[in-house]
Amino acid sequence: MERVAIVGYNQVKLYSNANYGRYEMIFEAVRGALDSAGLKKKDITTVVSATNDYYDGRTISNSLTVEPGGGYLADESKIEMDGAHAVLYGLMRVLSGNHKLAVVWGGSMASVFPYHTTRLYETDPTWERPSTFVNDVTSAGFQMRAYMEKFDVTAEDIAKIAVKNRKNAARNPLALVEAQNPNLTVKEVLESEVYSDPVTELMVAHPCDGVAALLLAPEKQARKITDNPVWITGVGFNQETYYLGDRDLSMSKSMEFAAEVAFKAAGIKDPKNQIDVAELFEAYAHEELILTEAIGFADKGKGADLNTEIGGDLPINPSGGALGGNPLCATGLIRIIEAVKQIKEEAKGYQVNGAKTAIASGQIGMCAQNNILYVLEGGE
Amino acid sequence: MTEEKIVVANKGLIRADFAFWVGQYMNKFYDAFENKKIIGNKCPKCGDVFVPPRKICGKCNKTILLDQNWVDLPDTGILKNYTITYYKINDRASRKVKKPQIIGMVQIDGSNTAIIYRLINIETGEVKIGMKVKVEWEEKTKGDPSDIKGFVKV
Repeated sequence: MERVAIVGYNQVKLYSNANYGRYEMIFEAVRGALDSAGLKKKDITTVVSATNDYYDGRTISNSLTVEPGGGYLADESKIEMDGAHAVLYGLMRVLSGNHKLAVVWGGSMASVFPYHTTRLYETDPTWERPSTFVNDVTSAGFQMRAYMEKFDVTAEDIAKIAVKNRKNAARNPLALVEAQNPNLTVKEVLESEVYSDPVTELMVAHPCDGVAALLLAPEKQARKITDNPVWITGVGFNQETYYLGDRDLSMSKSMEFAAEVAFKAAGIKDPKNQIDVAELFEAYAHEELILTEAIGFADKGKGADLNTEIGGDLPINPSGGALGGNPLCATGLIRIIEAVKQIKEEAKGYQVNGAKTAIASGQIGMCAQNNILYVLEGGE
Repeated sequence: MTEEKIVVANKGLIRADFAFWVGQYMNKFYDAFENKKIIGNKCPKCGDVFVPPRKICGKCNKTILLDQNWVDLPDTGILKNYTITYYKINDRASRKVKKPQIIGMVQIDGSNTAIIYRLINIETGEVKIGMKVKVEWEEKTKGDPSDIKGFVKV
Protein backbone atom coordinates (compact mmCIF):
# COMPACT_ATOMS: atom_id res chain seq x y z
CA MET A 1 0.00 0.00 0.00
CA GLU A 2 1.21 3.50 -0.80
CA ARG A 3 2.47 5.51 2.15
CA VAL A 4 0.90 8.81 3.18
CA ALA A 5 2.82 11.76 4.58
CA ILE A 6 2.03 14.95 6.40
CA VAL A 7 3.52 17.63 4.18
CA GLY A 8 2.39 20.86 5.82
CA TYR A 9 0.65 22.21 8.88
CA ASN A 10 -0.43 25.34 10.67
CA GLN A 11 -2.09 26.26 13.92
CA VAL A 12 -3.38 29.67 14.97
CA LYS A 13 -2.50 31.10 18.38
CA LEU A 14 -5.04 29.91 20.97
CA TYR A 15 -7.15 32.53 22.74
CA SER A 16 -9.83 32.35 25.41
CA ASN A 17 -11.61 35.01 23.37
CA ALA A 18 -10.04 35.43 19.97
CA ASN A 19 -12.19 38.43 19.15
CA TYR A 20 -11.91 37.81 15.45
CA GLY A 21 -14.24 35.91 13.19
CA ARG A 22 -14.10 32.16 12.90
CA TYR A 23 -13.76 32.34 9.12
CA GLU A 24 -10.65 34.47 9.40
CA MET A 25 -9.27 31.97 11.87
CA ILE A 26 -10.02 29.02 9.58
CA PHE A 27 -8.49 30.83 6.61
CA GLU A 28 -5.37 31.70 8.60
CA ALA A 29 -4.91 28.03 9.55
CA VAL A 30 -5.59 26.52 6.12
CA ARG A 31 -3.82 29.17 4.06
CA GLY A 32 -0.88 28.95 6.47
CA ALA A 33 -0.68 25.17 6.01
CA LEU A 34 -0.61 25.60 2.22
CA ASP A 35 2.05 28.31 2.53
CA SER A 36 4.16 26.07 4.78
CA ALA A 37 4.30 23.56 1.92
CA GLY A 38 4.62 26.11 -0.88
CA LEU A 39 1.26 25.05 -2.32
CA LYS A 40 -1.75 26.86 -3.75
CA LYS A 41 -5.53 26.50 -3.53
CA LYS A 42 -5.59 24.72 -6.91
CA ASP A 43 -3.39 21.95 -5.50
CA ILE A 44 -6.09 20.87 -3.04
CA THR A 45 -8.06 17.86 -4.26
CA THR A 46 -10.09 17.09 -1.13
CA VAL A 47 -10.97 18.75 2.17
CA VAL A 48 -12.07 17.14 5.44
CA SER A 49 -13.12 19.41 8.28
CA ALA A 50 -13.90 18.73 11.94
CA THR A 51 -16.49 20.95 13.56
CA ASN A 52 -19.51 20.40 15.77
CA ASP A 53 -22.96 21.76 15.01
CA TYR A 54 -23.75 22.28 18.70
CA TYR A 55 -20.48 24.11 19.28
CA ASP A 56 -20.96 26.22 16.16
CA GLY A 57 -24.60 26.98 16.99
CA ARG A 58 -26.02 25.93 13.64
CA THR A 59 -26.67 22.80 11.63
CA ILE A 60 -24.42 21.64 8.79
CA SER A 61 -21.92 24.10 10.13
CA ASN A 62 -19.39 23.42 7.36
CA SER A 63 -21.74 24.98 4.81
CA LEU A 64 -20.42 28.38 5.82
CA THR A 65 -16.75 27.40 5.91
CA VAL A 66 -16.40 26.50 2.25
CA GLU A 67 -14.21 29.43 1.19
CA PRO A 68 -11.89 29.80 4.21
CA GLY A 69 -11.44 26.01 4.55
CA GLY A 70 -10.26 25.56 0.96
CA GLY A 71 -13.40 23.70 -0.08
CA TYR A 72 -14.60 26.21 -2.68
CA LEU A 73 -15.60 24.17 -5.75
CA ALA A 74 -13.75 21.22 -4.27
CA ASP A 75 -14.56 17.86 -2.77
CA GLU A 76 -15.35 18.62 0.88
CA SER A 77 -17.00 16.95 3.84
CA LYS A 78 -17.06 17.30 7.57
CA ILE A 79 -16.89 14.97 10.53
CA GLU A 80 -18.41 15.83 13.87
CA MET A 81 -15.58 14.49 16.00
CA ASP A 82 -12.08 15.51 16.94
CA GLY A 83 -9.72 16.85 14.27
CA ALA A 84 -7.60 13.74 14.80
CA HIS A 85 -10.51 11.69 13.46
CA ALA A 86 -10.75 13.98 10.43
CA VAL A 87 -7.14 13.06 9.67
CA LEU A 88 -8.21 9.41 9.43
CA TYR A 89 -10.82 10.33 6.80
CA GLY A 90 -8.24 12.40 4.93
CA LEU A 91 -5.83 9.48 5.10
CA MET A 92 -8.43 7.09 3.67
CA ARG A 93 -9.21 9.45 0.82
CA VAL A 94 -5.56 9.72 -0.09
CA LEU A 95 -5.17 5.93 0.18
CA SER A 96 -8.10 5.53 -2.23
CA GLY A 97 -5.68 6.69 -4.90
CA ASN A 98 -7.98 9.48 -6.03
CA HIS A 99 -6.33 12.39 -4.26
CA LYS A 100 -3.01 14.13 -4.41
CA LEU A 101 -3.54 16.59 -1.59
CA ALA A 102 -5.95 16.46 1.32
CA VAL A 103 -6.51 19.45 3.58
CA VAL A 104 -7.67 18.51 7.06
CA TRP A 105 -8.76 21.27 9.39
CA GLY A 106 -10.67 21.47 12.65
CA GLY A 107 -11.60 23.99 15.26
CA SER A 108 -14.18 26.02 17.12
CA MET A 109 -14.72 29.06 19.28
CA ALA A 110 -15.54 28.13 22.87
CA SER A 111 -15.83 31.84 23.70
CA VAL A 112 -19.22 32.12 22.02
CA PHE A 113 -21.15 29.34 23.78
CA PRO A 114 -21.36 27.62 27.20
CA TYR A 115 -19.25 24.53 26.51
CA HIS A 116 -19.81 22.47 29.66
CA THR A 117 -23.56 23.07 29.47
CA THR A 118 -23.62 22.14 25.80
CA ARG A 119 -22.04 18.80 26.66
CA LEU A 120 -25.40 17.93 28.28
CA TYR A 121 -26.68 17.46 24.73
CA GLU A 122 -24.34 14.53 24.44
CA THR A 123 -26.19 12.63 27.17
CA ASP A 124 -29.07 10.24 26.57
CA PRO A 125 -32.14 12.48 26.05
CA THR A 126 -34.53 9.80 27.32
CA TRP A 127 -32.67 9.03 30.53
CA GLU A 128 -29.77 11.14 31.79
CA ARG A 129 -30.31 14.49 30.11
CA PRO A 130 -33.52 15.50 31.92
CA SER A 131 -31.89 15.15 35.34
CA THR A 132 -28.80 17.16 34.24
CA PHE A 133 -26.22 15.41 36.40
CA VAL A 134 -23.91 14.28 33.63
CA ASN A 135 -21.68 16.58 31.65
CA ASP A 136 -17.99 16.41 30.81
CA VAL A 137 -16.95 17.87 34.16
CA THR A 138 -18.97 15.62 36.47
CA SER A 139 -18.07 12.57 34.42
CA ALA A 140 -14.40 13.57 34.73
CA GLY A 141 -14.97 13.71 38.51
CA PHE A 142 -16.14 10.09 38.38
CA GLN A 143 -13.25 9.11 36.15
CA MET A 144 -10.57 10.69 38.34
CA ARG A 145 -12.04 9.15 41.49
CA ALA A 146 -12.34 5.71 39.84
CA TYR A 147 -8.66 5.90 38.83
CA MET A 148 -7.47 7.06 42.26
CA GLU A 149 -9.54 4.48 44.16
CA LYS A 150 -8.61 1.53 41.99
CA PHE A 151 -4.85 2.07 42.05
CA ASP A 152 -4.28 4.16 45.20
CA VAL A 153 -3.11 7.09 43.11
CA THR A 154 -3.04 10.43 44.96
CA ALA A 155 -4.45 13.78 43.85
CA GLU A 156 -0.86 15.06 44.08
CA ASP A 157 0.22 12.56 41.40
CA ILE A 158 -2.48 13.95 39.13
CA ALA A 159 -1.76 17.58 39.99
CA LYS A 160 1.84 16.97 38.91
CA ILE A 161 0.60 16.32 35.37
CA ALA A 162 -1.20 19.68 35.37
CA VAL A 163 2.01 21.35 36.61
CA LYS A 164 4.16 19.66 33.95
CA ASN A 165 1.81 20.45 31.07
CA ARG A 166 1.16 24.05 32.08
CA LYS A 167 4.91 24.57 32.50
CA ASN A 168 5.51 23.05 29.07
CA ALA A 169 2.77 25.26 27.65
CA ALA A 170 4.72 28.28 28.90
CA ARG A 171 7.44 27.31 26.38
CA ASN A 172 4.93 27.01 23.54
CA PRO A 173 4.13 30.41 21.99
CA LEU A 174 0.88 29.12 20.46
CA ALA A 175 -0.55 27.85 23.77
CA LEU A 176 -3.34 29.64 25.61
CA VAL A 177 -1.86 32.46 27.70
CA GLU A 178 -4.16 31.64 30.63
CA ALA A 179 -2.89 28.05 30.61
CA GLN A 180 0.81 28.94 30.60
CA ASN A 181 2.47 28.99 34.00
CA PRO A 182 6.19 28.28 34.41
CA ASN A 183 6.02 28.59 38.20
CA LEU A 184 2.92 26.56 38.98
CA THR A 185 3.04 24.31 42.04
CA VAL A 186 1.20 21.11 42.94
CA LYS A 187 -0.32 22.93 45.92
CA GLU A 188 -1.77 25.63 43.66
CA VAL A 189 -3.35 23.01 41.42
CA LEU A 190 -4.92 21.19 44.37
CA GLU A 191 -6.11 24.44 45.92
CA SER A 192 -7.60 25.86 42.73
CA GLU A 193 -11.37 25.94 42.59
CA VAL A 194 -13.11 22.58 42.83
CA TYR A 195 -15.05 21.97 39.62
CA SER A 196 -16.34 18.51 40.37
CA ASP A 197 -14.52 16.89 43.24
CA PRO A 198 -11.78 15.64 42.96
CA VAL A 199 -11.25 17.60 39.71
CA THR A 200 -10.03 21.16 40.28
CA GLU A 201 -9.92 24.07 37.86
CA LEU A 202 -6.26 23.72 36.92
CA MET A 203 -6.72 20.02 36.06
CA VAL A 204 -9.17 20.96 33.30
CA ALA A 205 -8.08 21.48 29.69
CA HIS A 206 -9.96 24.71 29.25
CA PRO A 207 -12.02 25.10 26.09
CA CYS A 208 -10.78 27.99 23.96
CA ASP A 209 -10.81 29.46 20.46
CA GLY A 210 -8.57 28.02 17.80
CA VAL A 211 -8.19 26.27 14.46
CA ALA A 212 -5.49 24.00 13.07
CA ALA A 213 -4.88 22.48 9.65
CA LEU A 214 -2.58 19.92 8.10
CA LEU A 215 -1.92 18.55 4.63
CA LEU A 216 -1.75 14.90 3.59
CA ALA A 217 -0.21 13.62 0.38
CA PRO A 218 0.60 10.21 -1.11
CA GLU A 219 4.29 9.26 -1.15
CA LYS A 220 5.08 10.24 -4.74
CA GLN A 221 3.47 13.63 -4.34
CA ALA A 222 4.90 14.13 -0.85
CA ARG A 223 8.45 13.74 -2.14
CA LYS A 224 7.82 16.49 -4.70
CA ILE A 225 6.50 18.84 -2.02
CA THR A 226 9.05 18.40 0.75
CA ASP A 227 12.45 16.93 1.53
CA ASN A 228 11.39 15.78 4.99
CA PRO A 229 7.89 14.37 4.98
CA VAL A 230 6.54 12.82 8.17
CA TRP A 231 4.95 9.44 7.52
CA ILE A 232 1.83 8.08 9.12
CA THR A 233 2.99 4.53 9.82
CA GLY A 234 0.14 3.37 12.01
CA VAL A 235 -3.30 4.37 13.19
CA GLY A 236 -5.77 2.72 15.55
CA PHE A 237 -9.27 3.80 16.47
CA ASN A 238 -11.63 2.36 19.05
CA GLN A 239 -14.59 3.19 21.23
CA GLU A 240 -16.32 2.06 24.39
CA THR A 241 -19.96 1.97 25.33
CA TYR A 242 -21.79 5.21 26.05
CA TYR A 243 -23.13 4.55 29.56
CA LEU A 244 -20.59 5.60 32.19
CA GLY A 245 -22.10 3.07 34.62
CA ASP A 246 -21.19 0.23 32.24
CA ARG A 247 -17.53 1.21 32.00
CA ASP A 248 -14.48 0.73 34.18
CA LEU A 249 -13.46 4.38 34.24
CA SER A 250 -10.11 3.65 35.90
CA MET A 251 -8.68 2.55 32.57
CA SER A 252 -9.10 3.15 28.85
CA LYS A 253 -9.98 -0.01 26.99
CA SER A 254 -10.57 1.95 23.79
CA MET A 255 -7.01 3.32 23.90
CA GLU A 256 -5.61 -0.13 24.64
CA PHE A 257 -7.23 -1.49 21.48
CA ALA A 258 -6.39 1.59 19.40
CA ALA A 259 -2.74 1.32 20.44
CA GLU A 260 -2.63 -2.40 19.66
CA VAL A 261 -3.80 -1.77 16.09
CA ALA A 262 -1.59 1.28 15.53
CA PHE A 263 1.54 -0.38 16.89
CA LYS A 264 0.96 -3.53 14.87
CA ALA A 265 0.73 -1.49 11.67
CA ALA A 266 3.88 0.45 12.53
CA GLY A 267 5.81 -2.63 13.68
CA ILE A 268 6.20 -1.33 17.22
CA LYS A 269 6.73 -4.13 19.70
CA ASP A 270 8.17 -2.23 22.64
CA PRO A 271 6.38 1.14 22.75
CA LYS A 272 8.30 2.47 25.73
CA ASN A 273 11.65 2.06 24.02
CA GLN A 274 10.68 2.58 20.39
CA ILE A 275 8.72 5.79 20.84
CA ASP A 276 10.62 9.00 21.51
CA VAL A 277 7.81 11.41 22.32
CA ALA A 278 4.03 11.37 22.78
CA GLU A 279 1.38 14.04 22.37
CA LEU A 280 -1.81 12.81 24.02
CA PHE A 281 -5.20 14.52 24.17
CA GLU A 282 -5.85 14.72 27.92
CA ALA A 283 -9.10 16.61 28.47
CA TYR A 284 -8.30 16.38 32.19
CA ALA A 285 -4.94 15.87 33.92
CA HIS A 286 -5.77 12.36 35.14
CA GLU A 287 -6.58 11.24 31.60
CA GLU A 288 -2.93 11.62 30.64
CA LEU A 289 -2.02 8.93 33.18
CA ILE A 290 -4.90 6.65 32.15
CA LEU A 291 -3.93 6.98 28.46
CA THR A 292 -0.22 6.52 29.24
CA GLU A 293 -1.02 3.21 30.90
CA ALA A 294 -3.42 2.10 28.17
CA ILE A 295 -0.72 2.72 25.54
CA GLY A 296 1.62 0.45 27.50
CA PHE A 297 4.20 2.99 28.70
CA ALA A 298 3.54 1.95 32.31
CA ASP A 299 1.69 -0.71 34.27
CA LYS A 300 -1.85 0.12 35.38
CA GLY A 301 -1.81 2.65 38.19
CA LYS A 302 1.91 3.31 37.70
CA GLY A 303 1.78 6.05 35.06
CA ALA A 304 2.79 8.68 37.61
CA ASP A 305 6.12 6.90 38.21
CA LEU A 306 7.24 7.55 34.64
CA ASN A 307 9.35 10.70 34.08
CA THR A 308 7.47 12.39 31.24
CA GLU A 309 9.13 15.81 31.38
CA ILE A 310 10.96 17.17 28.34
CA GLY A 311 14.32 15.44 28.76
CA GLY A 312 12.71 12.67 30.84
CA ASP A 313 12.45 8.94 30.08
CA LEU A 314 9.52 9.45 27.74
CA PRO A 315 8.39 13.03 27.19
CA ILE A 316 4.60 13.34 27.06
CA ASN A 317 2.92 16.54 25.89
CA PRO A 318 6.05 18.70 25.60
CA SER A 319 3.81 21.29 23.90
CA GLY A 320 1.62 21.49 26.99
CA GLY A 321 -0.98 19.10 25.63
CA ALA A 322 -4.65 19.92 25.80
CA LEU A 323 -4.05 21.52 29.20
CA GLY A 324 -2.18 24.16 27.22
CA GLY A 325 -5.43 25.01 25.45
CA ASN A 326 -8.38 22.97 24.23
CA PRO A 327 -9.89 24.39 21.02
CA LEU A 328 -12.65 21.82 20.56
CA CYS A 329 -12.42 19.80 17.33
CA ALA A 330 -8.82 21.02 16.85
CA THR A 331 -7.19 19.65 20.00
CA GLY A 332 -6.33 16.17 18.70
CA LEU A 333 -5.29 17.61 15.35
CA ILE A 334 -2.88 19.89 17.21
CA ARG A 335 -1.44 16.84 19.01
CA ILE A 336 -0.60 15.38 15.58
CA ILE A 337 0.90 18.67 14.43
CA GLU A 338 2.98 18.88 17.61
CA ALA A 339 4.26 15.34 17.05
CA VAL A 340 5.17 16.34 13.48
CA LYS A 341 7.03 19.38 14.82
CA GLN A 342 9.04 17.18 17.16
CA ILE A 343 10.07 14.85 14.32
CA LYS A 344 10.99 17.79 12.07
CA GLU A 345 12.83 19.50 14.94
CA GLU A 346 10.57 22.50 14.65
CA ALA A 347 9.34 22.50 18.26
CA LYS A 348 11.29 25.61 19.20
CA GLY A 349 11.56 25.99 22.96
CA TYR A 350 10.22 22.51 23.78
CA GLN A 351 12.11 20.26 21.37
CA VAL A 352 12.77 16.70 22.51
CA ASN A 353 16.28 15.70 21.44
CA GLY A 354 16.46 13.05 18.76
CA ALA A 355 12.72 12.56 18.32
CA LYS A 356 12.30 10.25 15.33
CA THR A 357 9.22 8.23 16.22
CA ALA A 358 6.27 9.96 17.83
CA ILE A 359 2.69 9.13 18.72
CA ALA A 360 -0.28 11.48 18.89
CA SER A 361 -3.81 10.89 20.05
CA GLY A 362 -7.27 12.40 19.76
CA GLN A 363 -10.42 11.63 21.69
CA ILE A 364 -14.10 12.33 21.90
CA GLY A 365 -16.95 11.58 24.29
CA MET A 366 -17.44 11.53 28.03
CA CYS A 367 -14.37 10.20 29.86
CA ALA A 368 -12.57 9.74 26.52
CA GLN A 369 -15.12 7.22 25.28
CA ASN A 370 -13.43 7.14 21.89
CA ASN A 371 -9.68 7.30 21.26
CA ILE A 372 -7.60 7.46 18.10
CA LEU A 373 -3.85 6.99 18.04
CA TYR A 374 -1.31 7.73 15.30
CA VAL A 375 2.28 6.59 14.91
CA LEU A 376 4.37 9.13 13.02
CA GLU A 377 7.90 8.70 11.74
CA GLY A 378 10.43 10.78 9.91
CA GLY A 379 13.22 9.64 7.60
CA GLU A 380 13.04 7.78 4.32
CA MET B 1 -10.48 48.96 17.47
CA THR B 2 -14.24 49.10 17.31
CA GLU B 3 -16.29 47.55 20.04
CA GLU B 4 -17.03 43.85 19.68
CA LYS B 5 -20.51 43.35 18.28
CA ILE B 6 -22.36 40.35 19.60
CA VAL B 7 -25.44 38.80 18.08
CA VAL B 8 -27.40 36.35 20.21
CA ALA B 9 -28.81 34.36 17.36
CA ASN B 10 -31.64 32.45 18.99
CA LYS B 11 -32.90 34.84 21.62
CA GLY B 12 -36.70 34.70 21.58
CA LEU B 13 -36.87 34.10 17.83
CA ILE B 14 -36.78 30.36 17.48
CA ARG B 15 -38.21 27.68 19.67
CA ALA B 16 -37.91 24.08 18.54
CA ASP B 17 -38.10 21.68 21.47
CA PHE B 18 -37.51 18.03 20.82
CA ALA B 19 -40.00 15.55 22.30
CA PHE B 20 -38.22 12.20 22.39
CA TRP B 21 -40.17 8.96 22.37
CA VAL B 22 -38.36 6.86 24.96
CA GLY B 23 -38.90 3.56 23.17
CA GLN B 24 -40.60 0.35 24.26
CA TYR B 25 -37.98 -0.74 26.79
CA MET B 26 -37.71 2.58 28.60
CA ASN B 27 -41.48 2.86 28.50
CA LYS B 28 -41.76 -0.26 30.69
CA PHE B 29 -38.98 1.03 32.92
CA TYR B 30 -40.76 4.34 33.52
CA ASP B 31 -44.10 2.60 34.00
CA ALA B 32 -42.47 0.74 36.90
CA PHE B 33 -41.26 4.08 38.31
CA GLU B 34 -44.91 5.09 38.66
CA ASN B 35 -45.30 2.21 41.12
CA LYS B 36 -41.99 3.07 42.79
CA LYS B 37 -40.35 -0.04 41.39
CA ILE B 38 -37.10 -0.61 39.52
CA ILE B 39 -36.88 -3.21 36.80
CA GLY B 40 -34.04 -4.29 34.57
CA ASN B 41 -33.54 -6.81 31.82
CA LYS B 42 -31.10 -9.64 31.42
CA CYS B 43 -28.89 -10.64 28.51
CA PRO B 44 -29.86 -14.21 27.56
CA LYS B 45 -26.23 -14.99 26.79
CA CYS B 46 -23.95 -13.44 29.43
CA GLY B 47 -26.59 -12.94 32.10
CA ASP B 48 -25.71 -9.28 32.76
CA VAL B 49 -28.67 -7.36 34.17
CA PHE B 50 -29.12 -3.87 32.79
CA VAL B 51 -30.61 -0.85 34.52
CA PRO B 52 -32.02 0.96 32.63
CA PRO B 53 -33.14 -1.95 30.43
CA ARG B 54 -32.01 -2.10 26.84
CA LYS B 55 -32.66 -3.94 23.65
CA ILE B 56 -29.11 -5.01 22.91
CA CYS B 57 -26.29 -6.38 25.01
CA GLY B 58 -23.28 -4.62 23.52
CA LYS B 59 -20.80 -7.18 24.79
CA CYS B 60 -22.67 -10.16 23.27
CA ASN B 61 -24.27 -8.26 20.37
CA LYS B 62 -27.46 -10.07 21.31
CA THR B 63 -31.06 -8.88 21.24
CA ILE B 64 -32.95 -9.02 24.49
CA LEU B 65 -36.56 -9.59 23.45
CA LEU B 66 -39.15 -7.15 24.70
CA ASP B 67 -41.41 -9.80 26.22
CA GLN B 68 -38.64 -11.76 27.92
CA ASN B 69 -35.91 -11.57 30.53
CA TRP B 70 -37.35 -8.80 32.69
CA VAL B 71 -36.03 -8.76 36.25
CA ASP B 72 -37.71 -7.15 39.25
CA LEU B 73 -35.08 -5.41 41.32
CA PRO B 74 -35.05 -3.79 44.74
CA ASP B 75 -34.66 -0.03 45.08
CA THR B 76 -31.45 -0.49 47.04
CA GLY B 77 -27.90 -0.50 45.79
CA ILE B 78 -24.21 0.10 46.38
CA LEU B 79 -22.47 3.42 45.82
CA LYS B 80 -19.77 2.65 43.25
CA ASN B 81 -18.45 6.16 42.65
CA TYR B 82 -19.32 9.79 43.34
CA THR B 83 -18.38 13.35 42.56
CA ILE B 84 -19.24 16.59 44.30
CA THR B 85 -20.07 19.46 42.03
CA TYR B 86 -20.17 23.12 42.93
CA TYR B 87 -21.69 24.39 39.71
CA LYS B 88 -25.10 24.35 38.14
CA ILE B 89 -24.66 22.07 35.18
CA ASN B 90 -27.60 23.26 33.07
CA ASP B 91 -26.81 26.94 33.37
CA ARG B 92 -25.43 29.13 30.64
CA ALA B 93 -23.35 31.20 33.00
CA SER B 94 -22.11 28.17 34.97
CA ARG B 95 -23.20 29.76 38.24
CA LYS B 96 -22.08 28.26 41.50
CA VAL B 97 -24.66 26.47 43.61
CA LYS B 98 -25.26 27.40 47.24
CA LYS B 99 -24.93 23.83 48.47
CA PRO B 100 -22.67 21.39 46.61
CA GLN B 101 -24.48 18.53 44.91
CA ILE B 102 -23.22 15.02 45.56
CA ILE B 103 -23.75 12.94 42.45
CA GLY B 104 -23.46 9.21 42.86
CA MET B 105 -23.07 6.22 40.60
CA VAL B 106 -25.24 3.51 42.11
CA GLN B 107 -25.30 -0.16 41.22
CA ILE B 108 -28.83 -1.36 41.94
CA ASP B 109 -28.66 -4.67 43.84
CA GLY B 110 -28.95 -7.52 41.38
CA SER B 111 -27.79 -5.48 38.38
CA ASN B 112 -24.43 -5.24 36.61
CA THR B 113 -24.51 -1.58 35.63
CA ALA B 114 -24.64 1.69 37.56
CA ILE B 115 -26.97 4.68 37.29
CA ILE B 116 -26.29 8.30 38.08
CA TYR B 117 -28.38 10.25 40.58
CA ARG B 118 -27.99 12.77 43.37
CA LEU B 119 -27.25 11.61 46.93
CA ILE B 120 -29.50 13.43 49.38
CA ASN B 121 -29.77 13.94 53.14
CA ILE B 122 -26.07 13.27 53.52
CA GLU B 123 -23.05 15.44 54.33
CA THR B 124 -20.06 15.34 52.00
CA GLY B 125 -17.82 13.86 54.72
CA GLU B 126 -20.11 10.86 55.17
CA VAL B 127 -19.98 9.65 51.58
CA LYS B 128 -18.01 6.43 51.12
CA ILE B 129 -17.63 4.22 48.08
CA GLY B 130 -19.21 0.83 48.84
CA MET B 131 -21.92 2.24 51.13
CA LYS B 132 -25.47 0.93 50.90
CA VAL B 133 -28.02 3.36 49.52
CA LYS B 134 -31.73 3.36 48.76
CA VAL B 135 -34.00 5.28 46.39
CA GLU B 136 -35.93 8.19 47.85
CA TRP B 137 -39.06 8.33 45.68
CA GLU B 138 -41.12 11.43 45.04
CA GLU B 139 -44.44 11.19 46.82
CA LYS B 140 -46.38 11.59 43.58
CA THR B 141 -44.77 9.76 40.68
CA LYS B 142 -45.16 10.64 37.01
CA GLY B 143 -43.36 7.81 35.28
CA ASP B 144 -40.24 9.73 34.32
CA PRO B 145 -36.65 10.14 35.59
CA SER B 146 -37.71 12.82 38.09
CA ASP B 147 -39.65 10.21 40.14
CA ILE B 148 -36.36 9.39 41.83
CA LYS B 149 -35.59 12.29 44.14
CA GLY B 150 -32.20 10.78 44.83
CA PHE B 151 -30.48 8.12 46.87
CA VAL B 152 -30.20 8.14 50.65
CA LYS B 153 -27.94 6.06 52.86
CA VAL B 154 -29.49 2.96 54.38
